[in-house]
Amino acid sequence: MKAFKRGFVILVFAYLYLPILLLVINSFNVSKYGHEWRGFSLKWYEKLAGNEALMQAFTNSLLIATLAATAATVIGTLMALAIYRYRFPLRRTASGLLFVVMLSPDIVLAITFLVIFIALGIQLGFWSLLIAHITFCLPFVVVTVFAQLNGFDRNLLEAAQDLGASESRIFLLIILPLILPAVIAGWLLSFTLSLDDVIISSFVTGPGFEILPIRVFSMVKVGVSPEVNVLATLLLAISLVLVTLSTLLLRRKKPQ
Amino acid sequence: MKLSALAAVVLLAATGAVQAQEKVVVYNWSEYIPEGVLDEFTRETGIKVEYSTYENNEVMYSKLKLQKGKGYDIVVPSTYLVSLMREEGLLHEIDHGKLGNIGNLSADLMDKSYDPGNRYSIPYLWGSTGIGINAKEIDPATITGWADLWDPKWQGKLLLTDDVREVFHMALKKNGFSTNTTDPEEIRAAYEDLRELMPNVLVFNADAPREPFLAGVVNLGMIWSGEVIMAQEENPDIMYIYPSEGAGFWVDSFAIPAGAENVDNAHRFIDYMMRPDVAAKAVEELGYSTPNRTAKELLSDEIRNNPVIFPSAESIRAGEFQQDLGDAMEMYNGYWEKLKTGS
Repeated sequence: MKAFKRGFVILVFAYLYLPILLLVINSFNVSKYGHEWRGFSLKWYEKLAGNEALMQAFTNSLLIATLAATAATVIGTLMALAIYRYRFPLRRTASGLLFVVMLSPDIVLAITFLVIFIALGIQLGFWSLLIAHITFCLPFVVVTVFAQLNGFDRNLLEAAQDLGASESRIFLLIILPLILPAVIAGWLLSFTLSLDDVIISSFVTGPGFEILPIRVFSMVKVGVSPEVNVLATLLLAISLVLVTLSTLLLRRKKPQ
Repeated sequence: MKLSALAAVVLLAATGAVQAQEKVVVYNWSEYIPEGVLDEFTRETGIKVEYSTYENNEVMYSKLKLQKGKGYDIVVPSTYLVSLMREEGLLHEIDHGKLGNIGNLSADLMDKSYDPGNRYSIPYLWGSTGIGINAKEIDPATITGWADLWDPKWQGKLLLTDDVREVFHMALKKNGFSTNTTDPEEIRAAYEDLRELMPNVLVFNADAPREPFLAGVVNLGMIWSGEVIMAQEENPDIMYIYPSEGAGFWVDSFAIPAGAENVDNAHRFIDYMMRPDVAAKAVEELGYSTPNRTAKELLSDEIRNNPVIFPSAESIRAGEFQQDLGDAMEMYNGYWEKLKTGS
């Protein structure tokens, strides 16, 4: 039984990580399409460093993802809190409408955004892209945070109020620490969603602001280049470092 | 003296300011213009290139349509889309008088029915859809035309591209019809033929037919000429056959959207891309064919004599270019759904 358990875990991990491992290996492969190993080389790393357009798109993507995730998390957390704590007209409708955005197919949202931006005369580019990304990330943050709030002991809030804490104190000292994991999860979810969105982005961005997924998908005409493997490897390395750092930080905070 | 110096400064500043604003906005596939060419263009003309990318013709089309042709100065539509966009008034007429290099283009690829007189489009690169084969596994001499794919011995072995027009092209050509037919009887006949082909099909591939060939999953099927060039870098046994009934040809052309803001710069850009050395570079880097006669002479013998890139006049004559089919497309799509769902 124990062997079976271990085997199962190994299988799941292999299923999850083997493709990524292959991608990392291929980023060092001399061969262009990676059907066989033709020797170790850093030439794709050099090519990527020289590919300004791709690097620019990469940094643009990171920028948009960070900003969109942060804005969506702030707005979404407050929104979830509002729906949870306060009674106001159309409260149910508001949460229902969020699901509409969440369930709408990307292509519908994409066309809608474009039509609105054109109607409002907003120039397509950085701002239109950011607004669109915040919008489609928002419901995911609200849903994550709201789920956490639902499992929350209301007595805590009432006790705090009894002891004379102001609304802002209650939020900062009680609610925020308790929902922090959900807030972080919402941020990460938004970051990922924003980083790999193609359909909406290709409609709402303008010529001055290119992002990575569009750039990569548009390569089909000439074949996706292994530089993309390199980018993915770098991204993986960055996230590994971040995850390790945060684990270390959290561990140090806990008392022995 | 002082005054003229001042005038000179003002003039300089003015031209400087104008130069800083000069730009051309290109909307194209990524990497579909060779590395360095854009920088070189800016160096020579002072016109900045803003390069934006799309992943298929339809995204480009719908975006332009919604923006009423504004936002971009150059787009690169494929043949059938040129005819559609031209009819819908989405394209700006091209002034051939501003294109000094147009004489370099071969008459073979000009003045086609999708754009008579090339009033709205200037061909950039072209290629074809034909038969791909792994010569190590199958003797290429045994395959000469589309009809050979119908042989029952290929049961469960073929790759088809995931494109309704291209797949129907095979069957229409096999029956001696035009790939642009709108005759319901002919389309129906092609459909009946394709139904017989379905048991032979292993996979439909939408964006990289070379991959299954390289992986050894398929050894025979439809493929694009440019994909074969890419595949050969990795495996020289993958070969390309121009079917005797006629390959499907496509051209990607430069066009100027109706709402373009920098029309003059767009003309200069198109003209620059037609310069023989630039056009030759595009062939060398991208593996597609150029309509530029003069550029062809600059290429190495190896590339110039490669029949995958430059087919014989006979193969070109046999082949056909796709046009927009208007309402008849619905009929094709209906049959296509039936084929793919196996009913």
